[in-house]
Amino acid sequence: MLQVYLPIAEISVNLLVMLGLGAAVGFLSGMFGVGGGFLLTPLLMFSGIPPAIAVTTCANQIVASSVSGALVQWRRDNIDLKMGAVLIIGGLAGAVVGVWLVGALREAGQADLMISLSYVAFLGVIGGLMLAESIRAIQRARAGVPARPRKPGQHNWIHGLPFKMRFPRSRLYISAIPPLLIGALVGFLASFLGVGGGFVMVPALIYLLRMPTNIVIGTSLFQIIFITAIVTLLHATFNHTLDLVLAVLLIAGGVVGGHFGAQAGQKLKGEQLRLMLALIVLAVAIRILFDLVLPPDDLYSLTPLGTKL
Amino acid sequence: MKRAPAIMAFWLATIGVACADDPPAQEQVQSDISTREIAIQSNFTGIEIVLFGAIDFTSVPAIDETQYDVIMVVRGPDEPVVMRRKERTIGLWVNGPSEVFQSAPSFYAVLASRPLRAIAPEATLKKLGVGFAELDLGAEPTDEVNRARFRSSLIRLKEDRGLFLESDDAISFIGRSLFRGSVDLPVSVPIGTYTTQVYLFRDGKLLSQDDSTLQVHKVGFERIVYLLAFRYPFIYGLIAVVIAAVAGLITWAIFGRRD
Repeated sequence: MLQVYLPIAEISVNLLVMLGLGAAVGFLSGMFGVGGGFLLTPLLMFSGIPPAIAVTTCANQIVASSVSGALVQWRRDNIDLKMGAVLIIGGLAGAVVGVWLVGALREAGQADLMISLSYVAFLGVIGGLMLAESIRAIQRARAGVPARPRKPGQHNWIHGLPFKMRFPRSRLYISAIPPLLIGALVGFLASFLGVGGGFVMVPALIYLLRMPTNIVIGTSLFQIIFITAIVTLLHATFNHTLDLVLAVLLIAGGVVGGHFGAQAGQKLKGEQLRLMLALIVLAVAIRILFDLVLPPDDLYSLTPLGTKL
Repeated sequence: MKRAPAIMAFWLATIGVACADDPPAQEQVQSDISTREIAIQSNFTGIEIVLFGAIDFTSVPAIDETQYDVIMVVRGPDEPVVMRRKERTIGLWVNGPSEVFQSAPSFYAVLASRPLRAIAPEATLKKLGVGFAELDLGAEPTDEVNRARFRSSLIRLKEDRGLFLESDDAISFIGRSLFRGSVDLPVSVPIGTYTTQVYLFRDGKLLSQDDSTLQVHKVGFERIVYLLAFRYPFIYGLIAVVIAAVAGLITWAIFGRRD
């Protein structure tokens, strides 16, 4: 019942399942305050959507969630537009590389493998770090030791780099090279993995560039809008891997799920939230790894060649 | 008696014309398809088409005791495909060797009233290209063993997806002359022009053949999406981004503005 045909993925999916998937990931992302692309892309892959199509369609869905998130931050004047622009310029370069790489790997028949492997590595590292950090935080809270506030760093190697720029909103005077590189890495991740990259961007801006935390979230969301939009456009144009029908379903589900997730998130403690998220992330990584290590159901695969029409 | 040669000449001429135009009098087959056009839209979950036909006995009287056989072939547009085999590399299953087939039919169904080999000799089937065993997939010349493996895997994968079908008892006769067979087109049915061939056999001999075509295309919203995605991909991507941005704006307007 309620089967919907996806014109680009060329499969029929259940309308409620896809809306529910969007809502569930939206709920989680609202609850944990993360983009959710790194959960949505693998979940779509598990439900039979080809990885390359899952990546592009997720990038498109993230445009929606980051627009609403960035607007909230913009109202609070929490966006450093100049820093955002530098990050976007770097992101554009990374996105072009990622889109080209997906195209080249698809031709070689290795795109699915490389996307899956990258996910395992990526989610494994992120999940592991989060797990360790949240367990330490919980232990500290039990022992009654107050969390040590981080001392603002005086000067690090980043301040020795050339091409210094002034970022008045962040009260920074630093080289443009690190933000360009961070932007490029996030742009690459967005185009290769279909993730917003907020969980790389946010720590990088806080710990490497020492931007004020309240401005980091807004700037990251602002930048993600443009990067995911660019990634969507590039993939749609060169790899034909965007499924509009699927995107609309995910966006609709995500909007509703995100709202309720944010409400639920306020009732839970930060360490508990991070522990839960870490476990979810690790579970997804292990599931993808299993699919790569266990003997496949079918050794053979069939792929149409050339362009359609 | 001057008219006799004239009549003779007329008769001879008529016979001559008849001999030139008609094949030796034998049973003819006529056929049609239940749908000539299949429109794929969002609620499409596959469709069953019925091919039906009749044996025309006007030129020869029906002979009792004779077994007629019918083979129907439904063939979608050819497309190049690549088959890949996974191999275990450092603990992971990785796509390894591959084989390109330049002209594999995107859809291929063979329906028969009896097993193919019982209907016609192998040579005839080969000539007509009927049946999985005789199908030309446009393989590139590589080593024989590998190609045979890739070939049989291609057929198996297509069968699993309902895109290849070979059925021995899919055609049923209604009385002496009428017959019908049905084919399920799955949800993933490729678009394009399909050809159908209906072959009539008697005692292993091909008596008659009737061909038709069938269109499968996407309509309405699906058609627009598909055309945009492949003909105007940039505009398509732009539309998707705008939809997402507007959705984000609406979300913010409803849920986010309070703070």
